[in-house]
Amino acid sequence: MAESELSANVVDIRRFSTHDGGGIRTTIFLKGCNLECSWCQNPESISGKVEPVFLPSRCIGCGLCLEVPGGAASRVGDRIYVDATRVGADWEALTRVCPTGAITWNARSYTVSELVELAQRDRAFFGTDGGVTLSGGEPLFRPHFAAALLRALKQAGINTAIETALNVRTEFVLTALEWTDHVFADCKLLDVAAHRRHTGSGNERILANLEVLLTGPRRADVTVRTPLIPGVTDGDDNISAIASFLASLYPDVTYELLNYNPLAAAKYDLLPGREFLFPRDANPPMLGRSRLDELKSIAQAAGLRYVL
Amino acid sequence: MSATVQPALSQLAQSSRIERLREAMLAEPRIVSLDQARITTRVYQDHADEPVIVRRALALAAALREVPIRITPGELIVGNRTPTARAGVVSPEAGASWIDREIETLPTRSQDKFQVDAETIRSFREDVFPRWRGISLEDVIRARYGAEIDAIGKVVKINQKDHAQGHICPNVERWLAEGPAGLAREAAIRGAAAEGEARDFYRAVEIAMQGVQAFVLRYAELAERLASEHEADRADLAEVARIMRRLAVEPPATFHEAVQATWLLFVVLHTESNASSFSPGRLDLALLPFYEAGIAAGTLTAETALELLECLFLKFNQVVYLRNSHSAKYFAGFPIGFNIAVGGQAADGDVANPLSFLLLQAQKHLGLPQPNLSVRLHDGTGDDLLKEAIRVVARGSGMPQFFNDNAVIPALERVGISRADARNYAIVGCVELTTQGNNLGWSDAAMFNLNKALELTLTGGVDLLTGERIGPDFGDLTRYDTWEELETAFAAMIEHYVSRMIKACEVVERAHMDVLPTAFLSAVIDDCLASGVDVTAGGAKYNLSGIQMIQVASLADSLAALKKLVFEEGLITRERMLGALLADFEGFEVEQALLLNKAPKYGNDIAYVDDLGLKWARFFAEQLAEYTNVRGGRYHTGMYTVSAHVPMGQNVGASTDGRKAGTPLADGGLSPVYGRDMAGPTAVLHSVARLDNELTSNGGLLNLKLFPEFYESETNIDKFAQFLRGFVALEVPHVQFNVVRREDLIAAKADPDRYRSLTIRVAGYTAYFTELAGDLQDEIIARTVQDL
Repeated sequence: MAESELSANVVDIRRFSTHDGGGIRTTIFLKGCNLECSWCQNPESISGKVEPVFLPSRCIGCGLCLEVPGGAASRVGDRIYVDATRVGADWEALTRVCPTGAITWNARSYTVSELVELAQRDRAFFGTDGGVTLSGGEPLFRPHFAAALLRALKQAGINTAIETALNVRTEFVLTALEWTDHVFADCKLLDVAAHRRHTGSGNERILANLEVLLTGPRRADVTVRTPLIPGVTDGDDNISAIASFLASLYPDVTYELLNYNPLAAAKYDLLPGREFLFPRDANPPMLGRSRLDELKSIAQAAGLRYVL
Repeated sequence: MSATVQPALSQLAQSSRIERLREAMLAEPRIVSLDQARITTRVYQDHADEPVIVRRALALAAALREVPIRITPGELIVGNRTPTARAGVVSPEAGASWIDREIETLPTRSQDKFQVDAETIRSFREDVFPRWRGISLEDVIRARYGAEIDAIGKVVKINQKDHAQGHICPNVERWLAEGPAGLAREAAIRGAAAEGEARDFYRAVEIAMQGVQAFVLRYAELAERLASEHEADRADLAEVARIMRRLAVEPPATFHEAVQATWLLFVVLHTESNASSFSPGRLDLALLPFYEAGIAAGTLTAETALELLECLFLKFNQVVYLRNSHSAKYFAGFPIGFNIAVGGQAADGDVANPLSFLLLQAQKHLGLPQPNLSVRLHDGTGDDLLKEAIRVVARGSGMPQFFNDNAVIPALERVGISRADARNYAIVGCVELTTQGNNLGWSDAAMFNLNKALELTLTGGVDLLTGERIGPDFGDLTRYDTWEELETAFAAMIEHYVSRMIKACEVVERAHMDVLPTAFLSAVIDDCLASGVDVTAGGAKYNLSGIQMIQVASLADSLAALKKLVFEEGLITRERMLGALLADFEGFEVEQALLLNKAPKYGNDIAYVDDLGLKWARFFAEQLAEYTNVRGGRYHTGMYTVSAHVPMGQNVGASTDGRKAGTPLADGGLSPVYGRDMAGPTAVLHSVARLDNELTSNGGLLNLKLFPEFYESETNIDKFAQFLRGFVALEVPHVQFNVVRREDLIAAKADPDRYRSLTIRVAGYTAYFTELAGDLQDEIIARTVQDL
């Protein structure tokens, strides 16, 4: 198969992204990740498959879905509930009868060439800094697709970035790097046990990949990010340990603290079987300005020069 | 100009004088003023035997000599058409009957209130109104064509029926070069050699200019008197007196004199014609020689120039316009349309100069509704001007708005305007495009409700709101077996109403010629003085008439849903579709949901729907191209509304885009329907870019809302600038930005459908705001408030 015909499941494509790299970008959220962070802000992208989803806020209660065989839809009081996990449901038929789009799929498949065409549309807005960011999910979860897409974008003259957790084989990182202008790499927790507890996986491979990146020739093109999850990643110890580790590799690396995003909680209502770290009535707020500044100081004290 | 100088201009502070004057102005109540109405009434009676144009000039001159005047201590720029700021003027020669009907309701009406006292009401009813019954513009039009204008009213709104035309950009440079004395001399010389109507015209110009000279001298005398009384402001008043003595007889020489002369021009234009949208145009060019000379001679500093410009900006807020209640709904918020164009190109490149930056700085300081500040962008616009304009937008006044030379110049050339004039374009009123100083664009001739025309096409001419047959029966939805048959009927419906609209426009324009000739205005519009023909009679170099298409975005959505779901996919039968419209979707919720959710919407970069909008906008424009207006010029199209999408929507029954009866249409003119642009602002620009630029040669309006974070850091301002570079490259004619505010978010929570496209932006994450649960919306509200 020609590389341009390789395909992958995409959960969302956001044009005019302004927080995923330089300039104005089109961010492509690929499906599939081999971590299962308890706070994941895109939980719909963890599974690599196109999954059925029911959006109750869009349901007008027309009841057309009740007539589709398979028993996924049922009336609960005056509302309708459609069970996306129901075995044997004909979800395709359900999406066809639903007039509002409340019954739908959470992703669709795109080829490399389709995505390049889409990215090209906003070329006029990219300038020299803007371009395309591959996010997810874990974009390198599909390493050959990611590499093919990044290469096709670069060959079209488009600036590329990836947002990765780096929990993949080093060779995949290095192949992608050839066609990537900027890497945003997550470093969530330095303690391996805590990492395993909260993400379902150890961090040995992540730290090894960070070392490769931050001691390699492209280290200036890497930003390391830590999502600040209250009570999990936002402790002084964790930030200090991460910063010391990074400083030992490359003290000039750009290190970005990403504030907690409480809005992610709402997505879990739509994903039966996935549970958010915090119960809805105990969802903490974003970190305040002064705490952010404190954490920055800690990272700086550990030897990092460029902390955002 | 070196790059290091401009930022310095953007740091200049506002003087305490400006803040004082601003507060005093805003504290003043909006009242109805009858002074000029009584003078006009008397002069018309005293000179009943004079030709109308002379009578009008005599009335203007009398008003300029007699209406009480005021100078507020501290003012550096003086003059107004009423003794109090922001008074509504009654112009009985244009419209008296509507005032008779509405005068009591002016203080309490929902939109644009004015205070009026019992004595004013009595005097209007006894001294003014009886003299004008049957002869005002309003009554003349009503007698000649009122029944027909009403008959087409649900599809076509004919404008300019009870007030003077306005919507014109005078030749400010010529005014600054000649002054009233110079123009009076020219009129006298030309008049001596003229005959008939031309001689009357020149006589009228001379009378008007002499009135202006007297008016200016009155201010000199008042300033001299006040100087002796006000110790603290003596120097300022003495300078005002000196300037006014000079301007009565000579053109301005200094920057201060030029700014004062500019304001006088607009005061007199508004005294002659109680109308909206006399616009100054490219003031950063017209005033530049005065600025440069002052700076070079060391007699002017940037600080002083800024203060004078801010005094001028305050003045732009002191003339307001009293509209009838119906019109106030369509043009809500006292829009008066002092539109200033900043930047843009000339034959030799970008024109941005220190005055461009000072005008932006004045807007940044004042943030008042007027002037309507516009920035012209093109490939050669410098980053410094672009980013400074963005910083001003960030203040949240919605200004400046941006125009795209790459779109506008070719569009104007296609309606017959020369390259040089097109390149020198400016904006009148809100977004109406014009050449400068030579064009009666008649840009608000009429609004054509394409959505109502589609409704009548689907119902066989029956108004869905009343059940009455108001239009021709070319078939109805159940009788169109194919999409092509429906399109044929729609085309016939548009042709039908276009031909009736044109006849009504002709009646209105002729009535203006007969009743409201404007000698003073004509003297500052090329080539009226040269030809001896009044501007209302076609004396201008260009004579366009602009028709607004209402609203192509809503129409495109309606056509796309109809075509795809009814004719292509058969998901809805034609009978069910018509039934749903008749029932306003009551009992047809599934059909409404399909229309809303299963058909593509304009504003998402989807050719299927955008191209339907394009096709019918083109068809409409082609119909207009068949006609010539009564001044010998072309009809052309615009896509903008001020607030008309609300009342226009009230006229339209349920529509096939899933919209309920009576609810608003898309706003702006180029903007997608609220909440339907789900693919972000770059996709919106792509959809807009699919429309031909010439469809908006009369003006287009695109509103975009952005979260305040976009304006916060220099990094984000860079991104904003890049967005506007893309806007230029895509040849989108216009864009205006509003900042999302707390109120929007609260409204979004209450009415999610209208705000569905509001998205928050977080690294590696995004979700449509309203798809989130309610308590999380509170989180965003809290966050946005924090950011503001």
